Amino acid sequence: MATPVLDNPLRAGLRIGRTPEPCTMVIFGASGDLTSRKLVPALYNLARERRLPGGFSVVGFARRDWTDDYFRDLLREAVNANSRSGPVDPELWASFAQGIQYHRGSFDEADAYTSLAERLAAIDAERGTGGNRVFYLATPPEAYPTIIAQLGAHGLAHSNGWTRIIIEKPFGHDLASAQALNAEVLSVFREDQVYRIDHYLGKETVQNILIFRFANGIFEPIWNRSQIDHIQITVAETIGVEDRGGYYDTSGALRDMIQNHLMQLLCLVAMEPPALYDADAVRDEKVKVLRAVRPLSVSDTVRGQYGPGSASGRPVRGYREEKGVSPTSQTETYVALKLFIDNWRWAGVPFYLRSGKRLPRRVSEIAIQFKAAPTMIFADTPLNDLDPNVLAIKIQPDEGISLKFSSKTPGQPQIRPVTMDFRYGASFGVTSPEAYERLLLDCMLGDGTLFTRRDEVEASWALLTPILQAWAEGPPQPFPNYEAGSWGPAAADEFIARDGRSWRRL
Amino acid sequence: MSEAAIDINAIERELRQMWQEQATHPEAGGQAVIRALTLNLIVRVPDDAWAEQVLAVAPALTAQHPNRTVLVIDRPGSATELQANVQALCTLTNAGRTQVCGEQVTISARGAPAGQLASLILPLLVPDLPVVLWAPGPQPFAQPLVQRLYRLCDRLIVDSTTFADPVRELAELAAFEQTANGAPAVSDLGWARLTPWRELTAQFFDTRPFLPHLHRIDEIVIEYVAGTHPNPVAALLFVGWLASCLKWTPLADAVGIEGETIQLYLRRPAVGVGPAAIRLVKVELRPVALAGVEGLVRLALRAVDNQQAEFVVELTGDSGYACTRATIAGANPIERTATIDHPALADLLNSELRLLSRDRTFAAALHLAGGLAQRLALP
Ligand SMILES: NC(=O)c1ccc[n+]([C@@H]2O[C@H](COP(=O)([O-])OP(=O)(O)OC[C@H]3O[C@@H](n4cnc5c(N)ncnc54)[C@H](OP(=O)(O)O)[C@@H]3O)[C@@H](O)[C@H]2O)c1
Repeated sequence: MATPVLDNPLRAGLRIGRTPEPCTMVIFGASGDLTSRKLVPALYNLARERRLPGGFSVVGFARRDWTDDYFRDLLREAVNANSRSGPVDPELWASFAQGIQYHRGSFDEADAYTSLAERLAAIDAERGTGGNRVFYLATPPEAYPTIIAQLGAHGLAHSNGWTRIIIEKPFGHDLASAQALNAEVLSVFREDQVYRIDHYLGKETVQNILIFRFANGIFEPIWNRSQIDHIQITVAETIGVEDRGGYYDTSGALRDMIQNHLMQLLCLVAMEPPALYDADAVRDEKVKVLRAVRPLSVSDTVRGQYGPGSASGRPVRGYREEKGVSPTSQTETYVALKLFIDNWRWAGVPFYLRSGKRLPRRVSEIAIQFKAAPTMIFADTPLNDLDPNVLAIKIQPDEGISLKFSSKTPGQPQIRPVTMDFRYGASFGVTSPEAYERLLLDCMLGDGTLFTRRDEVEASWALLTPILQAWAEGPPQPFPNYEAGSWGPAAADEFIARDGRSWRRL
Repeated sequence: MSEAAIDINAIERELRQMWQEQATHPEAGGQAVIRALTLNLIVRVPDDAWAEQVLAVAPALTAQHPNRTVLVIDRPGSATELQANVQALCTLTNAGRTQVCGEQVTISARGAPAGQLASLILPLLVPDLPVVLWAPGPQPFAQPLVQRLYRLCDRLIVDSTTFADPVRELAELAAFEQTANGAPAVSDLGWARLTPWRELTAQFFDTRPFLPHLHRIDEIVIEYVAGTHPNPVAALLFVGWLASCLKWTPLADAVGIEGETIQLYLRRPAVGVGPAAIRLVKVELRPVALAGVEGLVRLALRAVDNQQAEFVVELTGDSGYACTRATIAGANPIERTATIDHPALADLLNSELRLLSRDRTFAAALHLAGGLAQRLALP
């Protein structure tokens, strides 16, 4: 059940948003990397900023033989190492840690859920959490069905308060598996209880895309095929597969980045204005974008895999030499693709998407390239010397927006491109919260706007699954085909050059 | 510059030159310097000590709200004396990043008539940007310069914690806010300091089962730091806020004083007994001796009607923290520790500068508190 907003008369005019009702967050996979690197630091920072109510509790579920105290100490160290606010504040931590417990069990062990139910009831009585629960699946994806089925079997999917479940990525590895997982989840939970996380949506600049588009009157009239030449969306990483080689080798860039993060960015730049800013209205518009994308074929894509090279001046291994990766792997670590959205706004405007590992810089941005001036009236500058206007929405590392336009060089007849920059950090002088902070809070408040809905996930997979199939059936690729530390395979440059365009130099 | 030489064009020229120098300065290391102005800030201070405080917060203000500051040191005196100087204020940023800079003009005056000062200030304002007038210190409304300028401003900022005769000046502030009716909008840094207290109080009632108790509050006790002379303004504003949010109204003889303690009586709608029924809410404001902090120390909201419940926010022994505790009869008390930093002056100002129009919550709280203050100020 989506919680109706309480009518707290003291809320009016307060400058921070409402706090969620007291609840217990049960983290499955509490001994894992995500819990200590992201989840608990995010929860602690929320508590530190007075965004969590008294009574908020955490139960860590994992199979190691740990005590509550040992678990708390471990989490404290984890927060010390990973929190954006630095080491814990002892007073605050003491109060926060009182609400943390460890629950030992294996995911397939029925008794562990019986005792979990008892523990949750005890917490309700002691800490006033009123039956409100969030189950967080921070586990390997193979464990999702087991946990969901067990929660259902033990009556934990519903309570006298509200119950929600957060599911991490990857959500399936193709259309069929995503549909199967959705069916499993929805046989136990209702869709409005399910929060599929895509942490990109928790980033402030990503949310700013909608504000930028729909809170400013001047952009919407030019946000269409008559003014825009094409759009480039880039998510470049400098890291390789780190220690996730085993997992990554079964996944690849299309599944790991394009299907979720880049598709989300695509939806946000391309969607129509929603009638109101609410979870379903926003997600309806996003789904419409995905459904309007013209079916892709392999010739619309370029794949790459990095070979040995260097990163920040150090030599690094090639992908096939990474731990957990097959020496003859055909998994792509780079994808570039072109797609069209067949609707009135976008017909004929190409969207170029690219994402890869071991590229020279870590950068995510959306660049909107406008059409060139129709004729050149300034005799000294040939038209093709003029740079078109580009509006770049930078997501990381330097969040902000920049606009490139032409200007006269002082004292000379030339025209030169200049850039007008708006930096998020410099203009507001505050650090943005981590994506997970926003998302965890939204889930506790019952706001699903920044989470992915069932039809959204499936529409995105429906678009990309034919490519995955064609790749799998096609001939082996001459991998590796780009050097670690370069901007991807030469084929990607040729791919865009064929259309008379080029990738932005980032 | 001496009086004769104060020349607006010269100041403007100096400002322009300053930007050119900044842009070519070798220390800028080829970094672009951005002149980004989001508002005009006129600060009227009575003496050099205040001017120093303002100068100390200026960099932090520039970082969040790059502005043109016109600082007027408006000293009393017989001989008229006027001086001006100009300065760029750049925020320090990491190497390689663009610097954001604002500008500051200081006008140092002694015995200058308000009209003369205003004629210097007005042409220095950057057009088409909001104008904020900040008048820290006691008796802001008695200052001729404030009286002269406030109509031209979008916002007037005062600080009730620096009032000399707090209760009387609170009543004046309330009257001013009402008459101004948003032109200009009024901010009080004393009110801004209450934000964490309001947040922590409001948060109790985001919890569904606690909400009904909010409508049954019968007693409130607020303790505040006595200091050298007690300033109950924060406590009064807090009561004003609760009362305006919960539709409580002061009784005709709403105030009593017992020693140092102020007693207030309000009526609230009674719950569950017909539409016209009312109940009494009794409020006590007590000064307590406590070193090292200012403002509120502890507040307790109690419901005795029907089910007993108590909601307490209090500073803990260690500075910077508060304990919040909800106790409902028959259940475990729910406690937590939360940060309640003593906010820096710059943070308070920044939060007020972020507001674009009249703060209606503040206006309603102030109106109610002002009414109480007026009764308290009667002999
Ligand atoms: N790490 C990240 O930054 C990140 C980012 C985005 C998404 N994700 C996603 O988040 C999920 C978790 O990632 P992670 O990196 O935290 O994984 P991880 O470090 O491998 O942790 C997995 C956790 O699951 C537990 N577990 C596995 N099988 C179990 C079983 N049968 N019974 C009980 N506990 C079991 C493990 O407990 P033991 O300690 O007992 O093995 C461990 O606590 C994955 O779906 C991943 O794709 C992670």
